[in-house]
This record gives sequence, structure tokens and C-alpha cells, in this order.
Amino acid sequence: MSLFETRPDNSKKSFGYGKKTPPTEVKGKNAFTTMAYMKNAKPSLEQVGKPQAAGAFKPRPAGPTAFRKFYERGDFPIALEHDTKGNKIAWKVEIEKLDYHHYLPLFFDGLCETTHPYEFFARQGVHDMLEHGGSKILPVIPQLIIPIKNALNMRNIQVMCTTLKVLQHLVISADMVGEALVPYYRQILPILNIFKNYNLNSGDGIDYSQQKRENIGDLIQETLEAFERHGGEDAFINIKYMVPTYESCMLN
Amino acid sequence: MEIYICCIQDVSVGMAAIAEPKSMTRAKQWSDEVEEAYRFQLAGYRDAIEYQIIQKKDIDRWPHNGYVKKLQRKDGCFYYFDKTRECPEKDINKCKLYVY
Repeated sequence: MSLFETRPDNSKKSFGYGKKTPPTEVKGKNAFTTMAYMKNAKPSLEQVGKPQAAGAFKPRPAGPTAFRKFYERGDFPIALEHDTKGNKIAWKVEIEKLDYHHYLPLFFDGLCETTHPYEFFARQGVHDMLEHGGSKILPVIPQLIIPIKNALNMRNIQVMCTTLKVLQHLVISADMVGEALVPYYRQILPILNIFKNYNLNSGDGIDYSQQKRENIGDLIQETLEAFERHGGEDAFINIKYMVPTYESCMLN
Repeated sequence: MEIYICCIQDVSVGMAAIAEPKSMTRAKQWSDEVEEAYRFQLAGYRDAIEYQIIQKKDIDRWPHNGYVKKLQRKDGCFYYFDKTRECPEKDINKCKLYVY
């Protein structure tokens, strides 16, 4: 012990029972790093650990949405209700008179929200506007792509479920909407490709998400099939280009 | 003039008489009538008859199955309803079916 080392170094001692350091730190060297390629690094797990996860399935945080800002400012023509009939929006203005170019992209922007009441109003608002929009939806499609892409890119299971159901509703909401979405597959489908096989392998146990319609893999398959059915003759080849494992539901 | 006033009174009395239901039963299982009652009662009305007396306008309905599409509540806000069934199983017994 040198002259200056008067205190024993306790910083590396672990005092907590449940505390575990992540395996990558214990191993010291991550695979595919410069240290791992050095001569004295043995390729056994003691010295060179597993490579770090790329994080393809990792949820990513979303920033503050414009929907939240508008909602808090009271810009939406919806009435707040705090009763038990909590599955409807009371609109202060008739939906037919709303400016879809302004409001529909804003509601889609709110799909990124995960907290109440923003999440509920965004989801239900989109639902009502799509159900009653008719021919007003088609011209707004290009403005909806970025909010959809942002929501899917969050890779949050809850947000993805909602967005996929909204996409299924969108393609059947009016004529030609499915066809109008085909040029934007490049923006929408990459995330669907990542999560297409994201199913729970529970052996012979019960996967309750199937019953609740929250199984991502199944929802993606349904969504792609809806895209193909309503997307016209070019839909399948474009889906196949972005999601190579997709098989047609119409050709066979 | 007096005759005219009498006529108006008669009409209002007649409407009120029509508007009062004789009896009420609770729904046991889902049907189109239950769905209709559910939508009106969610919006705060007894049924279509009361809605038309209060709002004095036609009811917006879906063309393919005749389900109610849009209702205006008493406070002026609008409720929009889906093309398909909305009444959940747990709310069926809350629906009141009125007989006139």
C-alpha cells in the first residue's frame, strides 16, 4: 500500500443482495470491438462476451407531440367528460364540418401518446373521423404518413397495436385509400417487417394477447392482408419488396 | 284566434300524451331494438320519439342497416356511432325498452 492510499477502496464491493451487474460489463470485452480482436483475447466467454444487442425491438421514447399541445390548449372541438361512459367522444362541432387537412394529421400525431387522456382521445378521434370521413379522407393521406411512421418507429407494443388497428380501419374507410397508400409502403412497412414474427412462444400455454387482439405478429399479418386486398394490383409486389416473408393471401 | 290557441294546446297535449310510455322492460339479449335503445340512451334520451320531440329534426341513420349514425345531446354536443354493433354484452341489461 503506498503512502497516499490511506483508505481501502470499497467502491467495487457490492452491498446489495439483488444487485447484479449486466453480463456485458462482467465480461470486459465486447465482441467485435478492437479489444476483442487483440492477440491475447481468448475467444471464450470469459474474455470476450456477447456482442451488444442492436436494439431492433427496443422501445424508443417519443418526444412531446403536437396533439398534446393542441389538446392542452383546448384547440380540439371535443368536450371533456369525466363519467363512466368513457368510450365516446362528444364532438362540439359536426365531424362533417371539420377541416380534415388540419385535424386528421393532428389526431394521427396523437397515436404516439401512451398516457390517459391523450391516448384515448387520439385513438377515438381517429376512429370517429375515419368512420364518418368518407371522401374527405383520401386527399389527406400524404399528411398521415409521417405520424404513422413516427408511431410505428416507437416500437412500443401498445402504440403499435393501436396504430395497426388504425391502419386496418384506414384502408377500408373510403374508396381508393388502399391504393393511395401503396407509394408509402417504404415508410410504413420496415417496422412491420421487423416485428412480423414477434409472437410469444408459450408452448401449450394460453397466450391471452390473442384473445384481446393485442398479438403483434397476428396484427401485422392481418394488416398486410388488408393492404393487399385493398391496395390494387401493385400492392402485393410492393409489400413483398419490403416484407420478404409475406405470402399473398389472394394469389394462392 | 282563440280557436288557434286551442289547437296548439291540443297538439302539445297530444304530443305529451304520446311521449309518455306506458311501460318499460329491460333487455335480456341483444337485438336491433336493443341497439337502437342503447344509442339513444347513451346520448341522454329515452328513445327516438323523445329525441324527435326535443330536437325536432330527423335522425341520421346508416343507410345499409338503419342503425343510428349521429345524435345531438341535450347540451348541443354530437355523438357519432359506428356502422356495426356498439352495445357491449355487459350493458345489455341497462337498456330500457319502452312501450307506448
